[in-house]
Amino acid sequence: MSETDGVQAGVGRRTAGWERALAGGRALVAAGAAMLLCVACGGDGADADDNSIKVGAIFDLTGPTADVGTDYGDGVRGFADWANARGGIEGRPIDLIFQDYGYQVDRAEQLYSQFVNEGAVIFMGWGTGDTEALRMRVAEDEIPFSSASLSHRLGDPAEAPYNFLLATTYSDQFRIALDWIARTHGEGTPIVALMHNASPFGLSPANQGGIEFARARGIDLTLYEMPRGAVDFTAEFSRIRQSGAQYVVFQNTSGPAAVALQNARSLGLDVTFFCLNWCSNAQVVRLAGDAAEGLMGTMPYAPLSVDVPGTRVIREYLESRGESAEGKTNAYTQGWWTFAAFAEGMRRVLAEGDELTGANIKAALETLSDYDMGGVTAPVTLTSTNHRGSGGLRIFRVEDGAWVPFTDFVQAPAS
Amino acid sequence: MSMECGVFHTRYESDMGLRPRPAQRIRLAVLAVFVLVFPFLASSYWLDLANQVAIATVGAIGLNILVGYTGQISLGQGAFMAIGAYTAGLLTLNLGVPWGASVFCACILTAVAGTFFGLPSLRLKGLYLAIATLAAQEIVEWGMTHWTAVTGGTEAIVLPAPRIFGLRLNSTFNFYWLAVLTAAGTALFAANLFRSRIGRAFEAVRDQDIAASVIGVDLFRTKLLAFATSSFFVGLAGAMIAFYRNIITWERFTLNTSIVYLAMIIVGGLGSIRGSFLGAALITLLPALITNMGRAIQDTAPQAASLLPYGQQAVFGIVIILFLVFEPRGLSKLWGNVKDYFHVWPFAYRRGENRAN
Repeated sequence: MSETDGVQAGVGRRTAGWERALAGGRALVAAGAAMLLCVACGGDGADADDNSIKVGAIFDLTGPTADVGTDYGDGVRGFADWANARGGIEGRPIDLIFQDYGYQVDRAEQLYSQFVNEGAVIFMGWGTGDTEALRMRVAEDEIPFSSASLSHRLGDPAEAPYNFLLATTYSDQFRIALDWIARTHGEGTPIVALMHNASPFGLSPANQGGIEFARARGIDLTLYEMPRGAVDFTAEFSRIRQSGAQYVVFQNTSGPAAVALQNARSLGLDVTFFCLNWCSNAQVVRLAGDAAEGLMGTMPYAPLSVDVPGTRVIREYLESRGESAEGKTNAYTQGWWTFAAFAEGMRRVLAEGDELTGANIKAALETLSDYDMGGVTAPVTLTSTNHRGSGGLRIFRVEDGAWVPFTDFVQAPAS
Repeated sequence: MSMECGVFHTRYESDMGLRPRPAQRIRLAVLAVFVLVFPFLASSYWLDLANQVAIATVGAIGLNILVGYTGQISLGQGAFMAIGAYTAGLLTLNLGVPWGASVFCACILTAVAGTFFGLPSLRLKGLYLAIATLAAQEIVEWGMTHWTAVTGGTEAIVLPAPRIFGLRLNSTFNFYWLAVLTAAGTALFAANLFRSRIGRAFEAVRDQDIAASVIGVDLFRTKLLAFATSSFFVGLAGAMIAFYRNIITWERFTLNTSIVYLAMIIVGGLGSIRGSFLGAALITLLPALITNMGRAIQDTAPQAASLLPYGQQAVFGIVIILFLVFEPRGLSKLWGNVKDYFHVWPFAYRRGENRAN
């Protein structure tokens, strides 16, 4: 006993400070754990303002799609703020409850059940994965659900009765791009490479009718997966070069698409690039610089640089807040106007004097017919058998570092 | 007049019981009462969290059997959960197997897959084994997103709701009972496993595999058995998720899942059933906690609240680092410390006073 004590004391002198720190650290960990237990049980607070309309939302501010998710979230919040300054919806303020979910399915589920539990009547979702995962629960809870994901299947009320897509779906966008290619190609077989994100989102344009459409229009279509986090696509591009492709279509977010554009330019690849929804935005131009020149884009939501009533109202709002529209992508427009259409649905319910339930909001949304989205998209029509708001869009093109409309509104060709 | 000071066992049976001391039994009773009362008081949000914790507990105990008790590191947790989820889901969806039977088949198949991917463990240890299991993760991930004919590729698979006597089991309230029962059963099995010859062999392999083989433990068989047992429960957790959520998406079973589960057992306590539960609870509730903290300070300090999401990933990492440095044996040890303190309270032996003498 005394012997070991002596040894310990000898060592102790040298390490006393460290030991004390260690003991302090242990106490800290213990205290932290205890605190977590306390706070974890205390977060169930509900606000007292009964008049307000609760709207739940999840945004990706930190995950792999945060590059566009942040602007989308700002757009949704911007609309809520703008509408509240004008008296809310039929005099009732919007109480937007939102959180970042980092593109994680589990987190989305937690937040969804939390917000619905707190009385959210509609829910603004984000990715394809989490929207799919919540699809059954949403229908069961009767919560009209918008997602920024434009996966074709989510717009089919038979499969997803409470999901709504306002803009042109990915597969419609892809068909519009393919149709344009087929019509303008001229001699020979058009060879198209679809470079897509490695996810349901990435594959959705091809799997939901794109492949069949390409075959029907005599287009040679090949799919190339873009691994997550890849910074070099030389291997993919050399295969594309070998295939003799004249067109490359991206179904990915702006970050990876910009990397690929620069990559292709340094390899001297001479093809026409197309961006679907999530990379046809200002960010891809900023990131890719000159390499984005001549890039075509199917852009369901007009960027803020295009002057239509729907972007004017956003620019005015931003100016009134002392913020600049510069650098905001069309994801901002998308967030704003998606919420605006849902707000219109809720307004119609309240104007009828009905109770603001999920079923009523769904019914009201299904009465939207040629609803004017301020010119940022083609007018939106929703019915009880079709939850895809708009089948048309304008193709844009990058000229001198800015997206300019290249065509007028074109409808997606039938599949 | 005599007074008992301490706990005396007069029979071997009572000494060898799973919970030999009265205090343990009282705590268990308190816990049981809480578990029984909780769903009637909790909102659906808390029930949903409880269900997530229960499922995570099953998965974490499974992983702990392999990593904590047998010392074989695995980064393939997400893959094994995926095998469980897809097997259970597809059997029910395509072949109409009753959900109970398909869950059992899923566990068995995951155990087989786990054994297969555990084969390299005979030759590989530590980091090398980690890489081998990482390969398993990648292979399965690739398989479930590309083997379109079977898994539907990257599309989500919608399952029929599990029912028992016409009662739908996957509502938050109903599933709670199933989840808690499963978690309790898993914990009971695992606790008893490590009182048995096989369980002791697992621990011997972990502590010193050469010594274990010298005293007659068949290393190959034991390691594979550990992989099989572990994967069985991991597959069970995957199958539970599939039926609870009614829908299977591959994005739930990525490498990220594997790492989150490793974090659970590290923070909870390697080689501890209690630790598996505590870790599963902490890691599941931590994001919810950060969310609620952010919302609590949203009005008073909007700047800090808007930064919070970005801090979340960091908090996650810091928690793990703090535990590794200050309490490598995890929450389980912390709880042990609390118990030890009160065990002799208020007449604690104080080290400092003894030194002074």
